[in-house]
Parts: sequence; C-alpha cells; structure tokens
Amino acid sequence: MWSRLLAAVALFCLVGAQSSAAQQPLDRPTLLRQLCGEAPEVLAGAQSTAELAATAGEADLDWMQAVLFALVDRRLSCGDDAVTLRLPAGTIVNASTLAPATESASGRTPILNLRSRGVVEPILAALNLLVGKDANVKLEALRAVEKKPQPTLLAIVERALKIERDPQVKGAIQSATETLALRSPDPEKQKIAIRRLSEEPSTRSLTLLLNLRSEPAYNANAGYKAALDGAISSIERWLAFSNVLATIYNGMSLASILFMAAVGLAIIFGLMGVINLAQGELLMIGAYVTFLVQEAFRAVLPGLLDWYLIAAIPIVFTVTATIGMALESSLIRHFYSRPLMSLLATWAVSLFLVNLVRVTFGTQNLQFVVPFYLKGGITVVGDFIITWNRLFAIGFALLTLGGTYYILRRTTLGLNMRAVTLNRTMAGCIGIKTRQIDRLAFALGSGLAGLAGLALCPIYNVNPQMGTLFIIDSFMIVVLGGVGTLVGTLVAAIGVGQINVLIEPAYGAVAAKVIVLLMIILFLQWRPEGLFAVKGRRK
Amino acid sequence: MGTPAIVVSGLTVQFGSFRALDGLSLAVEYGQIHALIGPNGAGKTTLLDAISGITRSSGGSISLNGLTELTRCNEVDIALSGIRRKFQKPSVFEALSVRDNIALGIPSARQAGLVGQSAIDQRIEATLDVIGLAEQSARLAGELAHGQKQWLEIGIVLASDPKVLMLDEPVAGLTDEETERTGVLLRKLKHPARAIILVEHDMDFVEQVADRVTVLHEGKTLFEGSMKNARLDPGVIDVYLGR
Amino acid sequence: MSAQPSFYSRFAADRFYLWNLVALVGVALALGHAAAGGGLLSEYAINALGQFAAFAILALSLDLIWGYLGILSLGHGLFFAIGGYAIAMHLLKHSYLTTGIVPDFMQFMGWKQFPAYWVWFEHFPYAVAAGLLFAFAIALVFGFVSFRSRVNGVYFAIITQALVYVAMLLMFRNDTGFGGNNGMTGFSVVFGARLGQSSVTALLALAAVVTLIATLIGCRALVISRVGAIMIACRDDETRLRTLGYRTIALKLSIWCLSAVLAAIAGMLYVPLVGIINPRVLSPELSLEIAVWVAIGGRGRLFGAVIGAVTINAVKFLLSARAPELWPFMLSALIVLVALIFPNGLLDLPALRSLIREFVKRPGAGRLTRFKSAS
Ligand SMILES: Nc1ncnc2c1ncn2[C@@H]1O[C@H](COP(=O)(O)OP(=O)(O)OP(=O)(O)O)[C@@H](O)[C@H]1O
Ligand SMILES: [Mg+2]
Repeated sequence: MWSRLLAAVALFCLVGAQSSAAQQPLDRPTLLRQLCGEAPEVLAGAQSTAELAATAGEADLDWMQAVLFALVDRRLSCGDDAVTLRLPAGTIVNASTLAPATESASGRTPILNLRSRGVVEPILAALNLLVGKDANVKLEALRAVEKKPQPTLLAIVERALKIERDPQVKGAIQSATETLALRSPDPEKQKIAIRRLSEEPSTRSLTLLLNLRSEPAYNANAGYKAALDGAISSIERWLAFSNVLATIYNGMSLASILFMAAVGLAIIFGLMGVINLAQGELLMIGAYVTFLVQEAFRAVLPGLLDWYLIAAIPIVFTVTATIGMALESSLIRHFYSRPLMSLLATWAVSLFLVNLVRVTFGTQNLQFVVPFYLKGGITVVGDFIITWNRLFAIGFALLTLGGTYYILRRTTLGLNMRAVTLNRTMAGCIGIKTRQIDRLAFALGSGLAGLAGLALCPIYNVNPQMGTLFIIDSFMIVVLGGVGTLVGTLVAAIGVGQINVLIEPAYGAVAAKVIVLLMIILFLQWRPEGLFAVKGRRK
Repeated sequence: MGTPAIVVSGLTVQFGSFRALDGLSLAVEYGQIHALIGPNGAGKTTLLDAISGITRSSGGSISLNGLTELTRCNEVDIALSGIRRKFQKPSVFEALSVRDNIALGIPSARQAGLVGQSAIDQRIEATLDVIGLAEQSARLAGELAHGQKQWLEIGIVLASDPKVLMLDEPVAGLTDEETERTGVLLRKLKHPARAIILVEHDMDFVEQVADRVTVLHEGKTLFEGSMKNARLDPGVIDVYLGR
Repeated sequence: MSAQPSFYSRFAADRFYLWNLVALVGVALALGHAAAGGGLLSEYAINALGQFAAFAILALSLDLIWGYLGILSLGHGLFFAIGGYAIAMHLLKHSYLTTGIVPDFMQFMGWKQFPAYWVWFEHFPYAVAAGLLFAFAIALVFGFVSFRSRVNGVYFAIITQALVYVAMLLMFRNDTGFGGNNGMTGFSVVFGARLGQSSVTALLALAAVVTLIATLIGCRALVISRVGAIMIACRDDETRLRTLGYRTIALKLSIWCLSAVLAAIAGMLYVPLVGIINPRVLSPELSLEIAVWVAIGGRGRLFGAVIGAVTINAVKFLLSARAPELWPFMLSALIVLVALIFPNGLLDLPALRSLIREFVKRPGAGRLTRFKSAS
C-alpha cells in the first residue's frame, strides 16, 4: 500500500509541474498549416496538438477537438488563403476562429493515410475525454485510446482523470492511464505504472505486462526487467489465489442450490423413509412458477418488472408446498411401509410432471430478466468477482437454513417432526398427529425444493429436464449427510458442491461426477449411516 | 462345576452418552436356566444383543467356554459357534412354511453334527414335534397365531442343537395355558451341555423354571441368586417387584 | 407326515408357471418355423418377440434380486449395456473384417485403428466372455463394497441409480472408444450371415426366447431350492438370518452377480435385434423402467417379471407408432394405479379373484395375508 501511496504522490507532483507551465496562447494557424500538409507534417501537427492539449485552456480544447474531428471526418478544407471547416450541422466556419465564413475556392480536403489515421484517431478520442459530455462517448473514446496505446496521450488522459466525475468513467480512465504509462518513454513513470498494475492483479493487467516483455527495453535494461518480472510473478500469484476464491465461490453457490433441494429430501426421508424422486421436478416447477410470475409482472406491472424475483418467493413456496401436500395425501402416504415401491411411485410423478411441462411450455430454455440488483458484482481481488446472482443463491440458502433450523428446533411442528423421526409409534401414542406431521413435512420439503428452483433461475438454465441435473447430486448429499440432520445435509451439500466445481475445470464434468460417486461409496465403507447419523436400534 | 458357558466381565454398551450396560459382569453355567430380570430399560435385551454380536460394546469382554472372545466376532461367527437367540419381538420368516423355517435353523448340517439329508429331515421332524407344530408344518409361518409363532421361533433356534440358548421374553403375550406348555418345553430343553439364558417379566414363570436369576437395573447387576431370595431382597423389591 | 415333497413335485406345483412355460415353448416353435422359412409371423412381429424375450430376461434378472432378495437396483441398465456393448463391439469388428467398411465412430474420430482394448473382439466366444466377465467384475466390486457396509434398501437403490447415471455420462464422451454420443451401429454381418435377412432375425429371436426359457427354468430351480428359501428369509429379516449363522453378504453378493450376468446376457441378445446401441440405454429412466416392468408384472413371481416386461413393452411399441407423446403419461398412470391397487403387481388379479370367490362362499374367511406386500 505504501508504494501505491508513493506512486500517487509522484504522479500528483508530475501533473502539478506540468500544469504550472500552462496557458500559453495557442498558435492555431501554424497547427492548421501542419494539418493541411503532407503526411509527415500532419503527424507532427497531430502530435503537437496532443502535447499542447495537456495544458490548453477550455476554448482551445474545444477548438482542437473540432479541427481534428473535421480532419478525420474529411470536413476540413485547406485553401491557399484560408482554412475552413464544415461543422457537422452543415455551416461553414473559419477553421482558426470558428467564425462563419465561406469556403475558399482553392479548398482541398486533406486525406489521412492509414498510418496517420492510426495516430490521429486516438488523439481525437483522448480529446473527447476532456470535452465530451456523454459517459458512453467517453467510454467509447477510452477503448480507442487503449487499442493503440500512444505514450503521448498520457498527459491528456491524466488531465481527464483529474476532472472526471462519473465513477465508472473515472475507473476506465484510470486503467487507460496505466496502459499508457506502461508505454511511457520515461522509465520512472513506467516503473510506477508497473508497480501500480501489480497491485491490482487481474487477467487484464497480466496481459498488459506480458506484452511489455517483447519491448526492446526488457532485454536492454536490467532494472526494468527485474521490476517487470517481479510484477508479473506477483500478479500470477494473486491470480492463482483469486481463482481459488472464485472456484470456492462458485462451489458455494452450487452447494446452496443443492442444499435447498436436498434438505427437503432429507427431512422427508428421515420422517417417512421415502426418497422422493420427484424432488427434482418440484425444483423445476419452482423455476417455472418464477417464470410465470415474471410474465405476469411484464403484463400487469411492467414498471416493477425487476422485482418479480422477490415477489415470486412466497408464491413459489406456496405453490410447490401445496403440490407436495397434495402428492403426500393422495399418493405417497400409501407407501410408507413400502419404501422401494415409493421410489417407483414418485418416479411416476416425476415422469408425469416433466412431460406435462414439456407439453405446455416446450423444451427450450426459459428466458429470465436479470433484475438490476443481480447484475454484475464487485471485484474483490484479481479475477474473483462476487457476482450478485450467485450471492443471491447463497444468501437465499442461508435464510433457508436459518428458517429450517428455526422450524425444526423452535416450533412445536419441528419438535413433533423430530419426535416422529425418532420413533413414529411412540410419537403416535403420546398424541402427536403423525399423519398431519407427515403432510406438513412433505409440504415443507417440497416448498424448499421450489425455492431452490427460484434461486437458480438467475444462474442456471431452466427447462423441463433440469430436475435430473440436480436430483442425483441431492441423493448423494442425503446419503452422505445422513438422515434427519440439518448439519449433515449442510456439510454434505458443501462437500459435493465444492468437489464438483473443483474437479470440473481440471478433469471435466464427467470426472467430477465419477469422483463424487466413488468418494461416497468409499465413504460409506467407513460410515454406512452417513456423516451425522442419528443412532437408532438396528432391530 | 466346569467352565461357565458365557462369562461377561466389565461389559459396557453406550448409545451416545447413555450407558445401557455399565461395567456388567455375569457368568452363565452349562446345564442351568439363568434368568435375567429387571425393569423396562434395564439393559436385558441390550445384553443379549451384545452377546449375539448385534450391538458393539465399548468396553469389557464376553467369552464363550473361556476361550472365544465374542466381542471381536460378528454375529454370523457367533451364531456358528453355537449360540442362538430368540428375539423379544417374534421374528419368524412369515413368507416361508413352518417347515422351511425350522430348516433354516440349521445353517450347516456338519456343524450341527448331522450327516445326510435323512438326518436333517429327522432333526426337523423332531424339532417340530418338540414345539408341537408338526401338524402345521406345511402352513406359512405368517398364518400362525401369536403363541405358535413364539414356539416356532424357539423351534428355529433349537434346530441346530445350540450350546447357548437365549430367549427374550418367550411367554410375553401368551395365554396361561400356553405359558404352562412353554414352561414344560423349557424344562425339556435343559441339558448338561446347554446353557439357557431367559429374559422374562413373568415372575411366577421365572420362579418355576429358573435355576438362578440376575436382576439388572440401569445396566448394572442389582442382585444375583435364586428367585426365592430375589423376592425377599429389599433392593429388588424397591426398583422392580414393588411392595 | 410332513415329509418334504420331492424337487420335481415342487417344481411342478405351480400350474400357472407351467402353462406359461408351455406357451413360451410354443413361441419358440413358431420362431423356429419362421427361421426355417415359414411365413407365419411378420418380420416385425419376429423382431418384436425377440426384443420382448430379451427384456423379459432383463426383468427376470431384476426380479431375482428385488423380488426374492429385497435388493432393488435402479441401475440394472448398466449390466444390460455392458452386454450390449460387448456384442456390438464384436459385430462391428466382425463386420469390418468381412466388409472392410470402417465403423462410423472411428471415421468420426479420425482413427485408423481400433483402440487396443478391442483386440480379439472379432472372436464371438471372447466377446461374450469379456462382456459377462466385465459385468460380473463390476457387480462384484460394487456389490462387495455396498453389502459389506450394509448399504441396503433405498440407499442401495439410489446409489445404483447414480452409478448408471455416471456410466451414461462416461459413455457420452466421444474419446472413450465406444462410439460416444452416437453409439455403435451399422452392423452388417453376424456369424458370416447378413443381418437383416428374415431368417437371421428369426434365429436371433429364437435364441432370445430359448435363453429366456432356460433362464426361467434355472431361476425356478433356484427359488424352490434351499437357497431360494434363504433368499426369501434374507429379504424379510436379514438380521434374524445372520444370527442363525448365515453369511448373508456372500449370499447377496452371489445372487447380485448372477443377476448382473443375466442382465448382460439380455443385452447381448437385444443389440443384434435392434442393430444399434448408444449411451441412452444407460439413462436412469430406462433402469427405472425395468423396475416398473417387474413391479407391474408382480415381483417375487418369475412370470410376473416376464409378463410385466412383455405387456409394458408391447403397449409401448403400439403407442410409440401412433401417439408417442402419450406414452409417458400412460406409463406414470399405470405405475401409480398398480402400485396403489395391486401392490403385488398384475399377477395379483388371480389372487383377487380367488379371494372374492372364497369370500362369497364363506364371508370373512378370505386369506388376506396374501395381499400383504413385502417391499
Ligand atoms: N439403539 C439404541 N439407541 C439408543 N438407545 C438404545 C438403543 N437400544 C436400546 N437403547 C436403550 O437402552 C436401554 C436398555 O434397553 P433394553 O432394550 O436393553 O431394555 P430391556 O431391559 O430389554 O427392557 P424391556 O424389558 O422393556 O425389554 C433403554 O433405555 C433403551 O432405550
Ligand atoms: Mg427387552
């Protein structure tokens, strides 16, 4: 951090030194003559414009911009007596005073060759940074400046940096300054720029620095070489670290979805010994209900469209919980003593739901509006960006965890559910309505799956088949975590999510699945009842 | 007296932090019916579970004939070494015939000392006669009455001529007359080369058949001796028999 | 006296089984007639019969472990696929050596040579042995680790489902040398004869039906033997059986491996008839469907599995020609209906009839126990 501070001070001194020599009147006719000349002259004129722009007054800046713009746009007319230019609006003005005039008879429009164009256009772009008003124009201009970085533009860009107010544009100008400073003929400036870049490690800064290795100075100047190599390896270290963080972050968001899908499975399995193969489809329905809510907003309240995701939360939970409850009381309850048959029956339900959705909505992926509050994210370090959409899933899962914990531990319903899980007969004997508990638990589990479907809308594809993608992992989580423990499910979900994400980039998605399965089978050798099994009598 | 059949010493069985058996020691002699009694949850079934290898102990030892350490064996090896156990909840194979049930009681003919199919058949017939289900042999076990199931299970564990027989509440849920018949059956099963462990709540039944009783309470031995003396023991009266 | 009836009288005791066996022999004779050039059956019917027989063997293999041992596998498609792939490799290599046409998948991958593990697959006995051995080995390893750690019931079912799912993902990859996404197809020659000729098809179908008959007889012999009784005992109360001195892990492992091998045989009979195999046979849905055939036919009855496999597939064949989008709805409705009303499958219909008859004769004397299910 000290070095960064130093760099800032140094930069400030430099700029200050320059601006103290400011405000000499501009020799417009000489410049115009150069711009009207042959290619080498045009280049020289453009260069001196660029140098002067760092200190020129506002009026001169406007003038420079107008002239260069006209030059690029071929609206400049060089006569022997006077140089005129045609404004974009159509009026002809004197190129030196910008006062209305008539075009000289001997007027000739200078044509830029490719090389001059490559020099003039970035200069014009840099001028736009100073005189432009619109943020988009400026961002566009910055792209042009950075495409062919010219050290001469550094002064302009640094000036722009000082006067810019828009934070987004300011950030972009900042990074352009760095790019330019790297090319600066002044080795001190260059070194500072390198150091600054190394303090903001990202793939972009890495490529910028790597490009410098092909410069002649790299092999000529030992100090420069050391600085550059040091900076590169430091960035690489940071990037490696940030990649780990990004992977963990992605793993956490996958784990969040899996947790929400699996916790319902685990509660239901613990309570009734039934694995609900339709859990994946409840998740899918959750996503489809979210979609319907979005469409309803679009039709009725287009102004509030961005808030559909929040509004969908209670709706999704209610719909999926109701479906779950209906399923339980019409079908699943007949299978409590026949867990294996219940697998087939719930699969039948899943088959039915998938095909119902397929027939009504088609098989294509649904299009979701990403609300403004889920767009983008903040860069923490290097390439590690905390994206809001994933954070939404993680936060949502945390809330679910808290809510489920609360229900299980602090409410009568939860107490009864735990009692029935431990000993159904006994619980029935002391007057707990086990039937009702079953139905409510099923509703809760289904509702949670629906919420998982909602949380994944901004991240994953939504189509009728999506359930299968998550369901097998959710099974594995239930097997791994053990029955009837929230902690077990949580730990297992994090484990499975992380392993999937960690292995995938190196060995592919298939290998990730293979390894997860093998690890679970091996794990069961050691702990057949899962991580945090509630012990019960074997017979 | 020779070596005891089963010697339990310092046996501890834990479920979480709860000790179902707490440093229990006990010896069961051949030729005797040794009754285990005690209030609900005293750990009687847990002791049988530990001996038969269904539940792992967390300390102590159980030895058979002073030789085999049973806490290190799995339930199959324990069964094959001649220990049989009738469960508290009648456990017969309801989808099989009575005869098949008895036949399953003989996992290996050689180990039961039988040579040839006819010897096995004879043993099955004999067992069916002893438990009085010869007439029912072709019926499915699931169709039997509760008392008959209890006897069938005794038949299953008897078929291999076990050295140690453990009976968990064999007369629970039986009528007086059935209890009577079970008592007769039990006395018939007594044999100098066989030790019988009986868990029962029916005190009169225990008094009739048992040679020795151990009263368990909260995983520990409360009393050991004859049933007559147990009935006089103030501790036993306090926690179990009542005044 | 209650002496044990002889093996043969026990074998013949089930009239229903015997009559069905006779019917199957009739089917075999008809196919034999067709193979000899008779025109009784259409080409389509012959092919369908062969496929049904293969599916019936597959269903039997599952019934053996689910119906009699209580172990539900939701991944039996894996073993079916192993058999199918082994025979497909044989057919492809055999066809290549006869016709010289390079298989599609190798052209696609730009390979000039078969991968190393394809060696000797042109020899039929080797291909069969390799397929069966591989299925056996996978079953052995997976069964051992699962049964040893007492993974049972629902856990076992969903882990097998994950297993078949993972296998599917693996086979979808193009670089495994098994045809990837598109699988293997384009078999032209079998035993030197051109595939697609109607007499060849009839022979293939005949082979499937004869294997089915043999499997049925073998399975019947197994389930009425002492081992069969032990299997049922293990299904109903494993702890009890262990405390009687039975090594249930070894028992389960043997039957599980036998079942896997049977499933692989079914796959070997199936692939030449349809002329293609691809990773879709490994989809969890297909494996679940096998369990559905058994459940609908009636598990724990050998002909339950056969009848379930044949009826469901016959309906599926008919519907997929006319209204394919209706099939999933039909299937799910059928599953729910059967599961709710006939917990022991369609074969309970006779039981239901006899129950009603008995009830009408002597009210209250119905043998309700038969309706208790043992899942
Ligand atoms: N698997 C288990 N997990 C937790 N606690 C258990 C388990 N098995 C037994 N217990 C507890 O151990 C104690 C002893 O149980 P046990 O069944 O041995 O009692 P018992 O003497 O047989 O009683 P009863 O006369 O009612 O049969 C009881 O409190 C019981 O709740
Ligand atoms: Mg007890």
